[in-house]
Amino acid sequence: MDYRALVVGGGHAGIEAGLALSRIGFKTLLITQNLDAIGRLSCNPAIGGLSKGNIVREVDALGGEMAHLIDRSMIQFRILNRKRGPAVQAPRAQADKHTYARLAKETLEGQANLEIFMDTVVDLIIERNRIVGVKTKRGHEISAEVVVLTTGTFMEGRIFIGEYDAPEGRLEEPAAIGLGTALRKKGFPVGRMKTGTPARVRKSSVSLDRLEVQEGDEEPMSFSFDYDGVDRPSVPCHITWTNEKTHRIITDNIHRSPLYGGKIVGQGPRYCPSIEDKVVRFPDRDRHQIFIEPEGLGTEELYLNGISSSLPEDVQSAFIHTIEGLEKAQIMRPGYAVEYDYIDPQALFPSLESKLVENLFIAGQTNGTSGYEEAACQGLIAGINAAQKLKGEKPLILGRNEAYTGVLIDDLVTLGTEEPYRMFTSRAEYRLNLRHDNADQRLTQKGYDVGLRTEEHLQRLREKVSRIESVKDLLRIHRYREKRAFDALKMPEVTIEELAESIPELGAYPPSIRYQVELDVKYDGYIKRQERQINRFERFETMTIPPGLDYDTLEGLSTEARQKLKHIRPLSVGQATRISGMRSSDAAILIIHLQRRSGDA
Amino acid sequence: MSRYRTDDIIYALATPWGSAALAIIRISGSGSHALLAPYFSKSEALRSAKNATLLHGYLCDQEGRRIDEVVLAVNTKGHGYTLEEAVEITCHGSLSVVAELLDFLSSIGMRSAEPGEFTFRAFLSGRMDLTQAEAVHELVEAQSPVVRAQALARLDGGLKEKLNGMKNTLLALLAPVEVQLDYSEDELDEFVFPDELLDSLLNDLGRLLQSYAIGTLYKSGARIVLAGATNVGKSSLFNLLLKEERSIVSPVRGTTRDYIEADLLLEGIPIRLYDTAGLRESGDEIEREGIRRSEHLIGQADLVIHLLDSTVEDVDRAFDGRTIVVYNKADLRRPPEGALAISAATGEGIGDLLSEVARRLKRGVEGVDESRIVIQSKRQADALLAAEAALKGVKEDLQAALPLDIVAVGLNEALHHLGLITGEVTPNDILESIFSNFCVGK
Repeated sequence: MDYRALVVGGGHAGIEAGLALSRIGFKTLLITQNLDAIGRLSCNPAIGGLSKGNIVREVDALGGEMAHLIDRSMIQFRILNRKRGPAVQAPRAQADKHTYARLAKETLEGQANLEIFMDTVVDLIIERNRIVGVKTKRGHEISAEVVVLTTGTFMEGRIFIGEYDAPEGRLEEPAAIGLGTALRKKGFPVGRMKTGTPARVRKSSVSLDRLEVQEGDEEPMSFSFDYDGVDRPSVPCHITWTNEKTHRIITDNIHRSPLYGGKIVGQGPRYCPSIEDKVVRFPDRDRHQIFIEPEGLGTEELYLNGISSSLPEDVQSAFIHTIEGLEKAQIMRPGYAVEYDYIDPQALFPSLESKLVENLFIAGQTNGTSGYEEAACQGLIAGINAAQKLKGEKPLILGRNEAYTGVLIDDLVTLGTEEPYRMFTSRAEYRLNLRHDNADQRLTQKGYDVGLRTEEHLQRLREKVSRIESVKDLLRIHRYREKRAFDALKMPEVTIEELAESIPELGAYPPSIRYQVELDVKYDGYIKRQERQINRFERFETMTIPPGLDYDTLEGLSTEARQKLKHIRPLSVGQATRISGMRSSDAAILIIHLQRRSGDA
Repeated sequence: MSRYRTDDIIYALATPWGSAALAIIRISGSGSHALLAPYFSKSEALRSAKNATLLHGYLCDQEGRRIDEVVLAVNTKGHGYTLEEAVEITCHGSLSVVAELLDFLSSIGMRSAEPGEFTFRAFLSGRMDLTQAEAVHELVEAQSPVVRAQALARLDGGLKEKLNGMKNTLLALLAPVEVQLDYSEDELDEFVFPDELLDSLLNDLGRLLQSYAIGTLYKSGARIVLAGATNVGKSSLFNLLLKEERSIVSPVRGTTRDYIEADLLLEGIPIRLYDTAGLRESGDEIEREGIRRSEHLIGQADLVIHLLDSTVEDVDRAFDGRTIVVYNKADLRRPPEGALAISAATGEGIGDLLSEVARRLKRGVEGVDESRIVIQSKRQADALLAAEAALKGVKEDLQAALPLDIVAVGLNEALHHLGLITGEVTPNDILESIFSNFCVGK
């Protein structure tokens, strides 16, 4: 074997997978089509956001890299939804794209056990249903025990701008041709998906001074739990709106869109519609919001968040020029749609290992997701579980009540996805427990167990927990408004900052600690309610289904359930009950069968 | 969580709920003999009973009061319907006895079985073959929120429509909240919680629950106790009421009791009427026991008709909301102005009394116009009650100005409970609703 592990792709999933495998100690090769494109932010220049910010911090707690990269490249930081409550607050940062990608490559280069090589993988080498290596475009055959596949939008990628189309994964970056076809031939369930990106315009051609300004928070927080705070510049974003003129141009030219002309067959994301989609689907709205975001400090390019489009370039140019502030905007890169191959994630186990080919792990956009954060957390889990496989240990599978990452993977492998899957807080049943500020408490130990976190990280966590307890103790001792301060804090209008004014000892603790205590205390009742719900379902999650269970021997299952169970091969009754089309009688039969089995044992 | 629990003791009435000569209550579960034995007059015989033994004796409640004379059919583990340790109680078939026995079993720690649960256990023990999986389905359906229930399809049209309407209203409440939580503040328009929608939903839920109360009233009936001092004419009234009503089942003289009970039907509501020993201070041991039992009956009654003697000066007494105060012997002396007055001797005022009784029984459930839509199962009522409680919590949370993600907890809980009846609503359904109703996404 040339390597213990091989990672195909250098995007956000590939970076995490490659780093995890090599950090755990396995000699790893990362192959990418273009060394200069490692860690590229293909679409918007930002990391985090609702539920996505939580995922970044989960990745950090487990020992991934994304938080470090954004902490060192951010050019604006905000906590979103401060007014909406603890479960849905999340950090988001604008990134300097070039810095982000440069740091990603530097990190890979500085990593022991990790080699990087530029080539395009065109086929997998499989022996007796087990992967043993890959073939490349330039004719190399590279062997490895485990392979993590993270192809992003490049597998048979094709971009569309109006009548124009080309075999590319990003504009002017050639697609990986051959791999998708080879996988189809090998029996992988490959489908097509579509996503898009807006035009980038030149800053000096835009009248930003006439537009509403959106500043970042004054004190940026770090995404990573490894240190407190970051020292980074903060530049503003701007806000403008489309108008009826914009919409008219789009409507008049809608027949020239590859989406409406039938050229694109892949399903696009409903949550991130192109501007032509918005205009068609919501004809009553007279305007749509656009956030103008800088792509970096050292560049003139501005990202027009909200008007992704694959209309022809002349139409893009015409409608952009109807927008306030953008009347004279110079388009530097046009918006475009990209269609690419993805592999139905139902063909994966919750470890992200393929059911078809042993030792093959698949992560990121290849699994039908969208978003840097969604890709990163999958890459990390795939890397960790590939390493677990090499060690002969059990895979790391996060529960829906433990992490957004767990929700994401469970959704993917159990339900599959019809459109590019993006995380939403409403996908998580237990979001009060999945806050960004407690991701370290939820996951550091697990990161340690798989070999990615060290004793120092655990120690840091223990200190944090003990400081949280000390603050709670202080609140129990002191009184406020004729109550224990602890109880006073439960009142909706009382904040911990207000308490800090009359309890000076609280000043010794940093805002992040005080903030977490505030949330813990204030929403204790609700968190407990949620925990009761979790406990109600825990029983199903812990009823495991033996991997070799022959569903044909279970009398009484409905035909649909039998087919789906054989296809999905759930690991637990909990997962089985989430399969669409399972009837309750099917679940009952499964449970009875398992109870009888365990009774026999 | 009781779903699939098989480690506890369950009981259920195996015969139809109604007056009959005999009734059978079935009990199943490991440890059921030992649990029941202390309350059975032949404790030791029950503890050591072999399979397929019949035992005759009395069941007494936790205070040692006899509930009924019964025959126990005993099954040991590996026998009988469920193949679990089991007992079948054959008791007298009056509704009051059955109700009291069921209450008693619950009070000693047994659990009322879910529909189909005996079958489920029989199935689990391998007693039944898989063709009966559909019966098991009933039980699982009843309790499984994670699996999409098709229970709704079996409900009658009116109710189904009603419940679906409420679920859609709830989704309409939840979707705008969830969209606020899925996207950041600056991507969305200012949000105002639709309070009126919540109020109207609570209103609908309340009305549906009232219809359950009516359903229960007509199905299970009511216990009415005639109470009052000695010699106020309770027995005359008792006999008169029975004569008034043609649909008397039969007056049953309690064998070991000193009160008399009889069934009658009032405006379609099955009623069990009790004539009790007069309440007074007494030195007589037996009479004191009778009075104690009267008080016990009064405590359990749905309605108490308290008779006063118009010829005797009134004693100041407070009555609770279940009590109708009636002046008897109105033919001899005029009762206080506005009071309900009868003469058990002449029958005067009995019509008024009966309509007052009917009015009181239906109180709290009147004005339910959807008399066709009746929630009949306790499971449905429990789910609706839980949904109502969750939504009331939401109202409080909103009043306390709690943030939206907290408010959403209650809304999601309510949806979960409604989903138990109508079929589960998954996170995907909510997202679906968001995407089809809101223009979101940068």
